[in-house]
Amino acid sequence: MTVVLSARELTRHYEVSRGLFKGHALVRALNGVTFELEAGKTLAVVGESGCGKSTLARALTLIEEPTSGSLQIAGLEVNGAGKQQRKQLRRDVQMVFQSPYASLNPRQKIGDQLAEPLLINTSLSKAERREKVQKMMEQVGLRPEHYQRYPHMFSGGQRQRIALARAMMLQPKVLVADEPTSALDVSIQAQVLNLFMDLQKEFNTAYVFISHNLAVVRHVADQVLVMYLGRPAEMGPKEDIYAKPLHPYTQALLSATPAVHPDPLKPKIRIVGELPNPLNPPEGCAFHKRCPYATERCGKEVPAFRQVGTRQVACHYAEQFL
Amino acid sequence: MSLLQIDNLNVRFGDANAVPVVDGLDLAVDAGEILAIVGESGSGKSVTMMALMGLIDAPGRITADTLRFAGTDMLKLSARQRRKVVGKDIAMVFQDPMTALNPSFTVGYQIEEVLRQHLGLKGKAARQRALELLQKVEIPAAESRLDAYPHQLSGGMSQRVAIAMAIAGEPKLLIADEPTTALDVTIQAQIMELLVNLQKERNMALILITHDLAVVAETARRVCVMYAGQAVEVGQVPELFEVPAHPYSEALLAAIPEHSIGAERLATLPGIVPGRYDRPQGCLLSPRCPYVQEHCRRQRPALDPKAHSLARCFYPLNQEVA
Repeated sequence: MTVVLSARELTRHYEVSRGLFKGHALVRALNGVTFELEAGKTLAVVGESGCGKSTLARALTLIEEPTSGSLQIAGLEVNGAGKQQRKQLRRDVQMVFQSPYASLNPRQKIGDQLAEPLLINTSLSKAERREKVQKMMEQVGLRPEHYQRYPHMFSGGQRQRIALARAMMLQPKVLVADEPTSALDVSIQAQVLNLFMDLQKEFNTAYVFISHNLAVVRHVADQVLVMYLGRPAEMGPKEDIYAKPLHPYTQALLSATPAVHPDPLKPKIRIVGELPNPLNPPEGCAFHKRCPYATERCGKEVPAFRQVGTRQVACHYAEQFL
Repeated sequence: MSLLQIDNLNVRFGDANAVPVVDGLDLAVDAGEILAIVGESGSGKSVTMMALMGLIDAPGRITADTLRFAGTDMLKLSARQRRKVVGKDIAMVFQDPMTALNPSFTVGYQIEEVLRQHLGLKGKAARQRALELLQKVEIPAAESRLDAYPHQLSGGMSQRVAIAMAIAGEPKLLIADEPTTALDVTIQAQIMELLVNLQKERNMALILITHDLAVVAETARRVCVMYAGQAVEVGQVPELFEVPAHPYSEALLAAIPEHSIGAERLATLPGIVPGRYDRPQGCLLSPRCPYVQEHCRRQRPALDPKAHSLARCFYPLNQEVA
């Protein structure tokens, strides 16, 4: 299989102003994320708000420069790429956003919005562009007469189909989807998720699927990356992580996710407290203040993100949970 | 007698011929019961509760055969009388805690306001009670939070404050409208646990409005499924999830990714909820229903409490043949 996306120690820090006379504070929004993604596969990134999943999405889609680390898209290094190369890289990575109400231009017809990527990036004629757009619209389940309509005439689910169609127009190698179904109702979510899967099969696109919904992730992912406060907590094949989570945060996350058919025998792991302030993260393991298994060592030493069996875990005591 | 009795509630926006947003809803809630109302956006779940609390302004119009809460006819109350009930005996927790609290006043002031209005507590006594309420909802360092402004609190903390305000008047009925939708999953688990504990401890009735079936399965005892303004099925909790009688309930359950573990595609209900102008003549689900019969397209089924099953369907599923 060909690796289309490879990130190594990807890091993004922000300087935050604390007022006129104080120095800047540093938010480590993304702190050393490493992964590889093959064509046609899906990496799901899960975590709660503030864990750095959206910062990761912005770094992967070249919306923001990483502070350090390397990122390769289809074998091309992003750091130090020239203007021409960047244009090509941007073609290869496309994005679908969370809110289909905010991500479409309200004053532009659907057909024109879908044709715009072709207009900018290809030298196709108007008729050819139109033909391609019509074909894509059919693939995502829109009718030909929708070409002339404006976004406000569509429901949320249909708009997300349009956003997905727009992202797929250039047949990118990587599609980054940031919470693409969290604004949708469950029956519409199912339709849109099916569409995601169908298009992936058709175009062999690699997906980076960002979500906080573990049930959705379980359906779409091949690999799962769990993040906590900007750091990877656990990464591995979906089956392993859902069958036996090794990091206490993953365990808590899975346990906190409500189930339609709850297992009464399974004890609930409830973690106390909330996400620590990212301006002032705790010493040692970022999770140790909420972790039910925390020891003295966890408060001092940052756990390395290391290989345990089929996956990588950032916990000193991961072996004990095997 | 039930604490809350709603018979044939209709809510329309516009003239008497406008399409009803809530259509012939019957609902009864007993004291100390947890009832969940589930449905997709626009199904009328929130509007039903707004109608109960008298929060619907012109051009909205409410008609009902009965709308009785704790022996009081809510339709006959004057605005002044209603204000004595709403906020005291019926309290509500809203979806977005960030907008439910007033940003210009401290948390303590806002809780004390409820105590002053409804219980006549003043000064030190009110402050003391507000502190107890904050401790009750498990806010750490409650004493110092009394003087905090809402923007200084996280989403989970704000929701706890909103709950403290809601229970300040010792309500008999607490309505929680999507109380955890805006929160992360580990915080969601904490808030749901808090709500259920408070409900048990005070023997309040709790109406939980949500679109998340998994939350319902884990907390409620009875559930009402709404579709396009109508209650389509009312049932006990494990039963409705195991053997749904209405095709819509079945489809809603099937669309959850949890039900398709290992499957390639999610089960979907084709199409979307009928809008104002395309309401079918017969059963509202008939254009999307996989079991539709000729009869369904012509006539609307009723939700008959005396019938064998509490499903609004001519051909309910999973019925034992008598």
